Amino acid sequence: MKTSISMRMALFAVGVHAIVLPALYYGFNIVVTRSDTDLFVQHVRTLSRNLAEELELGDALGSPQRVANLLDQAVINGDGVFAALVDNGQEIQSELNSPGVHWLGRQDFTFRFDTDQIYFIALPISRPDHTAELRLGFDERPTNEQIQSAMRRTLWVLVIYLFISLTAAMVWSHSLSRPVVQLQRSSRKIARGDYAQSLRVKTDILELHDLGSDLEYMRNQLVGVNERLQMEMSEKVRAQEHRHELESRLRHRQRLETVGTLAGGIAHEFNNVLLPIVLFAEAALAESPEHTRVHQDLQEILAQAYRAKEVVEKILTFSRSAGAPKPDLIDLEPVVGEALRLFRALIPATVELRVQLSGPYPPVRADAAMTIQMVMNLCTNAYQALRDRTGVIRVGLRELLEPATGDGAAPKAFLELFVVDSGRGIEPGTVPRIFEPFFTTRDVGEGTGLGLSVVHGIAESFGATVSVETEVGRGTTFRVRFPVVPAAAGQGSSNEHMSGASI
Amino acid sequence: MKSVLVIEDEPAIRKALQRALVSAGHPVQVANNGTEGLEALKTQTADIVIVDIIMPRVNGVDTIRAIVREFPNVRIIAISGGGNFSPAEYQPHAIKTEAYLAAATVAGAHAVLTKPFRTQDVIHAISTVTNLPSGNGSLI
Repeated sequence: MKTSISMRMALFAVGVHAIVLPALYYGFNIVVTRSDTDLFVQHVRTLSRNLAEELELGDALGSPQRVANLLDQAVINGDGVFAALVDNGQEIQSELNSPGVHWLGRQDFTFRFDTDQIYFIALPISRPDHTAELRLGFDERPTNEQIQSAMRRTLWVLVIYLFISLTAAMVWSHSLSRPVVQLQRSSRKIARGDYAQSLRVKTDILELHDLGSDLEYMRNQLVGVNERLQMEMSEKVRAQEHRHELESRLRHRQRLETVGTLAGGIAHEFNNVLLPIVLFAEAALAESPEHTRVHQDLQEILAQAYRAKEVVEKILTFSRSAGAPKPDLIDLEPVVGEALRLFRALIPATVELRVQLSGPYPPVRADAAMTIQMVMNLCTNAYQALRDRTGVIRVGLRELLEPATGDGAAPKAFLELFVVDSGRGIEPGTVPRIFEPFFTTRDVGEGTGLGLSVVHGIAESFGATVSVETEVGRGTTFRVRFPVVPAAAGQGSSNEHMSGASI
Repeated sequence: MKSVLVIEDEPAIRKALQRALVSAGHPVQVANNGTEGLEALKTQTADIVIVDIIMPRVNGVDTIRAIVREFPNVRIIAISGGGNFSPAEYQPHAIKTEAYLAAATVAGAHAVLTKPFRTQDVIHAISTVTNLPSGNGSLI
């Protein structure tokens, strides 16, 4: 059974006293009784011997009157209840004898010899002319009462002592257990999530003080760990929310883009249809005489064709605004991750795609959908540069600091997207032209030559720069450097001091 | 009158341009694509080439580059109505008609026209490129 410290100490004190106090009481009882009875017996014997000597040596035996006086004195001086002298068969009794007390023909050798509570003593008196016997009886009750009242006083003292010592034990145990109880309360509050509770306790007991200090140290450690855990968790939740938001934004953009692409495609087809209508109608119009029915009809056809052209322009305006990029401060890591997820599905297993993303990275000004397209184009380019469609493509992000230019400008921070392939590389003479639209080194019909010019256009719209490093036979590295926007400041874009063929 | 070669993959546009230019008095040849167009220039030279940008296989910009390289005296008019080469390709909306025509100009086209245009527009463009000072009008 579990009991508290103060309860244990109280029980211990009670247990100790239950053994010690009766022993003390009975010890006292023995001592008091023995000393009082010894005193009584000694007193009684001394008195009796004195009287006997008086009778033996004096001449009182001759006069019955004097004998009676002596006997009276014996009764008065020593709690006597009975005094008699038997001289030559004649008994003289004191007149002060208690009524009803008779010589019982015995002699007591110890206190409380019999139940009549009278101590009898007989002494022989020998004189040449007399053979007498002094018979005395003393009352034991006053001595008994003395003993009993002494024991009562002892009992009272012991009771008071018991009370005081129990109270002291309780106070002491309480003061011992107080810091422990305080520790307990604090630790319970901590368990309920109130980490502000201090576990340091005010106490003079060294061990408890040290225990409190150690627990307090542990609490501080725990609070640190807990805060770190909570921070990590909320960061994870934030990252997840961010990812969901990005996904939903991308889905929305993709829907708009699909609509835009469809509308744009139809509109351009319509341009191809409208051109012959306009040209044929104009040719026919030129050959039909004015003010004829045919001439008027042809004019009507032309007017409607122009109206159709306007409608097409409106559709194109819509499709462009639907797909128009809206650069915003975004985290590139999930965007690049999403692009690589799409890209991985398109390439054969013979190509090893190494992804190097270990954020968090600072946010940069970009548009998620456009960035995905940029990464896709760079990766597709890298893939097409691989010989026999095998090799390694390494894609990732890293932060870098452009050293200060010496004219007092602060160093510029960049977030770099790199795409490295182990492909053919680019001929040095060709490098300056690779970002031109319709420039391609591939065979006719294999590509449009627009991919890298699109990358360049997108990067430019973000204020980013594209550079290339290449070695024939070894491979090519494309770097897109996004200027890191300083907190609460606009973005600076500069193409200076960039290595490679920066455009 | 200046002779004109129309390189265009869309038959209706080919026919319409031929009709309009013949009516204006120009001798006109037609070609289905860039390769055919270059072959036609080798057999029978033309003063002016009207070339579409978006064509299968050899696109208009590559065709213009080849013409500038092989026939430097020929004047070139690029026409485009925008659009994508193929839906399978990942193309941005950033590529507009103007971008195609700008690429054509960089490659060496002397004039550009956005589809749809009127007969008078193409006649005007022909007279403009004809009146350009001799030599190469290309920007590169």
